[in-house]
Amino acid sequence: MDYEVLERLLAALESRGVKYAIFGAVALNLHGIVRNTEDLDIFVAPEESNIERLKAALHDAIDDPEIENITAQDLLGDIPAVRYVPPTGSFYIDILTRLGDAFAFADLDVERVAFNDLTVSVVTPRVLYNMKKDTARAKDRLDADLLKREFKLERD
Amino acid sequence: MPVQKFRSVADMPDPPRRLPGDPALYKAIAGIWKFGRRANPRRFPPGVYKYRSIEEMSRAQEQWLSEHVQELAKQRHGR
Repeated sequence: MDYEVLERLLAALESRGVKYAIFGAVALNLHGIVRNTEDLDIFVAPEESNIERLKAALHDAIDDPEIENITAQDLLGDIPAVRYVPPTGSFYIDILTRLGDAFAFADLDVERVAFNDLTVSVVTPRVLYNMKKDTARAKDRLDADLLKREFKLERD
Repeated sequence: MPVQKFRSVADMPDPPRRLPGDPALYKAIAGIWKFGRRANPRRFPPGVYKYRSIEEMSRAQEQWLSEHVQELAKQRHGR
């Protein structure tokens, strides 16, 4: 992930008033657990106007007409998960409106977290832990163990 | 920094967690990501991809990773 691009993207999400929550490895980093990553994972509120604000924010940060292929019709319908790879191809953004039956935007516990001159919306360490603890990927389970230790979390 | 010795990797402490707002945290993030890009540069195919579930999205990610690893192995064996 390119740090400068992330700064630009998050500043754009904030200035456009997008309702979003960062999860995944970028969230771990912003909570203080430093990890390499190649993607930004964001939940967005499943509202047509919010998806339009999201697209405007992406256009602010990245010059790419392909962004128009991200549609509210998809994200509010049968396509809850959209991956966008910008023209540089050096990273991607995973945009979700829901995650299976377990997580929906309205149910997420979110914190406002400092990021340089910005304050951004990030799911809480507890939500991150719950997302990672039972997945099949070994690296997610290692992250869950680390979250549990660092934030003194107990299993639900 | 003094040399520290451990009988097991499990005994080695995790690096200290830096708190949000600490400029050292952002310096560490930028440094790790820069190193990651230099050590393992990847190019993902640009565009918008649509998935009906997170599982489908994860499978696509695993497929890209598998192709990347195979390509790296090919390049290294080809040297």
